[in-house]
Amino acid sequence: MILHLLNRSPVTSRVIDDALAAMGPDDRMLLIEDGVSGGLPAQALFFKNLAGRLFALREDLVSRGLLERCGEHVTIIDVEGFVDLTEEANKTVSWY
Amino acid sequence: MRYALLVQGGPYSSQASHSALRFARAVIERGHCLATVFFYHDGVYNAARLSAPPQDEPHLGDGWRLLHDEHGTELLVCIAAGLRRGLLDQREAARHGKEGYSLEEPFELTGLGQLVEAGFSHDRLITFSP
Amino acid sequence: MSGQETHDLEARDPDSVVDNSVTAGDLLVILRHAPHGSSWLREGLDTALVAAAFGQRVTLLFAGEGVLALLTGQTAGPLGQKGTHGVIDMLAMYDIDTLMVDGRALKSRGLCTDDLMLPVTLVEADGVVSLLQSHRLVLNF
Repeated sequence: MILHLLNRSPVTSRVIDDALAAMGPDDRMLLIEDGVSGGLPAQALFFKNLAGRLFALREDLVSRGLLERCGEHVTIIDVEGFVDLTEEANKTVSWY
Repeated sequence: MRYALLVQGGPYSSQASHSALRFARAVIERGHCLATVFFYHDGVYNAARLSAPPQDEPHLGDGWRLLHDEHGTELLVCIAAGLRRGLLDQREAARHGKEGYSLEEPFELTGLGQLVEAGFSHDRLITFSP
Repeated sequence: MSGQETHDLEARDPDSVVDNSVTAGDLLVILRHAPHGSSWLREGLDTALVAAAFGQRVTLLFAGEGVLALLTGQTAGPLGQKGTHGVIDMLAMYDIDTLMVDGRALKSRGLCTDDLMLPVTLVEADGVVSLLQSHRLVLNF
């Protein structure tokens, strides 16, 4: 399993296309920094194939006022959860 | 586990350095060894000796130095990326005939080979980019 | 050239093959940025060269705007900005001969392998997934 970090909004950057195309069926994606706007319900369709495999970093949601606005398509994790994900993945690849 | 971080974002111009430092502390708190941080691209500016952010903002350079002092984390700066961007230690400054220097220990100018080495010799390499 | 032809990637260049087998190696460097506009491409290539010089098996994957790095006819820029075509020309000397190109990226830019300066292997859909899985380390530039 590979962990993919995405720090761009799915609306403004097409890097999400490359990231999604590179993901295997068990791979996971973690939204960080500007990527957490992908947690908005209106953005859920971008991640429709990632049910149960999409995560967003809590502190980046909180600082942007997005925590309460997050949809159910993402699992919210804190920075300890971020470390967990990197432990569980045999590689981490960053998309920016 | 032994972790290495690759930091490619300039401090205060993208969130990458903040995210990396935050993650670094979490990795250590979990009991892992954060053996190496490699600074590349604009990430090399994290090593700027004269960085002077306002007092009510986090001092990223000091944050990295603390990791080295308390946990022995190597702070490696790509020499090719650093020299191009004006980050020279005393030795390089002398070699290039410059007055003053802009990088000092615990940051070290090293070759890109150290990044490759870190990638293969640590259990995990996590990249933070702008 | 008709749109039909540009989509017919496999048939256009006998030097290029679509590879469905898995290419394994130590380091996969993904190049996603165009030449000249930023230093990402050069820095990614430098990393690949250094790894190869250290004896690692390196695979390059040109994806997104990175496919522009392979176009023929590139020159130095204003003020003598070097660009990256010279480095790409020398890859074979460093034993980096596994050049993979994301076929989707090429196609969506209306380009084909005839536009490229070196023979490459085209990767389609699941090929990229396999590449990431089959290398010990993946660096994205």
